[in-house]
Amino acid sequence: MNKELEHSFVTNLEQNQNIVHKVCRIYTSDPDSHNDLFQEITIQLWKAYPKFRGDAKFSTWMYRVALNTAITLYRRSKRSLKTTDIDVINFKIKAEDYDDEVEQQLKLMYAAVKQLNDIEKALVFLYLEDKSYKEIAETMGISEVNARVKMNRVKTKLKKILNP
Amino acid sequence: MDELELLKKDWKRQEEVLPRLSYQEIYQMILKKSSSIVRWIFIISIIEFLLWASLDIIFRATGVHDEVEINNMETFSLIASFLSYGILIYFIVRFYLNYKKIQSTDSTKVLMENIIRTRRTVKHYIWVNISLFSILMIGTMVYLVFFTDEFQKSAVEEQPPLWLIITTTVFMTIVFAGMIALFYRLVYGILTRRLKRNYKELEKLEV
Repeated sequence: MNKELEHSFVTNLEQNQNIVHKVCRIYTSDPDSHNDLFQEITIQLWKAYPKFRGDAKFSTWMYRVALNTAITLYRRSKRSLKTTDIDVINFKIKAEDYDDEVEQQLKLMYAAVKQLNDIEKALVFLYLEDKSYKEIAETMGISEVNARVKMNRVKTKLKKILNP
Repeated sequence: MDELELLKKDWKRQEEVLPRLSYQEIYQMILKKSSSIVRWIFIISIIEFLLWASLDIIFRATGVHDEVEINNMETFSLIASFLSYGILIYFIVRFYLNYKKIQSTDSTKVLMENIIRTRRTVKHYIWVNISLFSILMIGTMVYLVFFTDEFQKSAVEEQPPLWLIITTTVFMTIVFAGMIALFYRLVYGILTRRLKRNYKELEKLEV
């Protein structure tokens, strides 16, 4: 029975691993921390898996656990905190090499997102994943109105970071 | 916002360059132990419970208890032990029930609240213990001074002044309680700093 559960879990996660990688991309900046966070999210997903009833889609269910792990459960090592700054600088340096204006804009956007706090990152992530405000609100445990208000604030904040 | 829309498009494109783990690699991951904050809170809380629970045993082992017996304070000490173990059991049950509630499948806010509540239980336990300890310390001193022969027997000139005894006891109690509180704040602070900051950020949304 346990083997069966393991198999169905690993297969499910293998197929949907993109979601976890994307969460790791938003919250970490170097491959080591990325793997670290991926590992912890996998453990948390596995721990919660016996309660997954299949009434929701596996991927939908994953968003919640993955984000909760990144925001609340994961204990960031000091190393990854330091590299965040370095990474942002790297982005900027590379961005200057690009001729293409759009490419440059994108690099700056990614760097700006990295500067947001944990909650704001979650909102941006869910927005980028095309989630409705209803879903965002449910995942975060706040009201839909508040999710909208906060998202607007994040947009303003991003604008400020991009055009100081 | 145009830029965010632009980012959204690119975000989808980026999926192609994301790392890909094999079945075997993911399987290896589920065999490992979690290093989450909840696990740490659990371990530290258990250590705290054990530490306070073992104080009674330490007192017996180091001979403090013998002195209690000499001074006819068994009943007093029995009540104190009874009280402290009762408190311990009450808090362990509460801690366990709160701990059980922590689910990564809850919404972010509920998850944070449950973690904070679990940790708060241990915090209350520590404060009840510090209070109990202070009361016991002062109570014992009062008892020794006013109700036992040892202090009354000795010659008047050998006795330290009463105000000195009281001041010293109170001072020692405050220093001891303060040290525990400080140490505790440090451990607690480091563990839950990020959690609290994020929780506040979420709360800020609620108008």
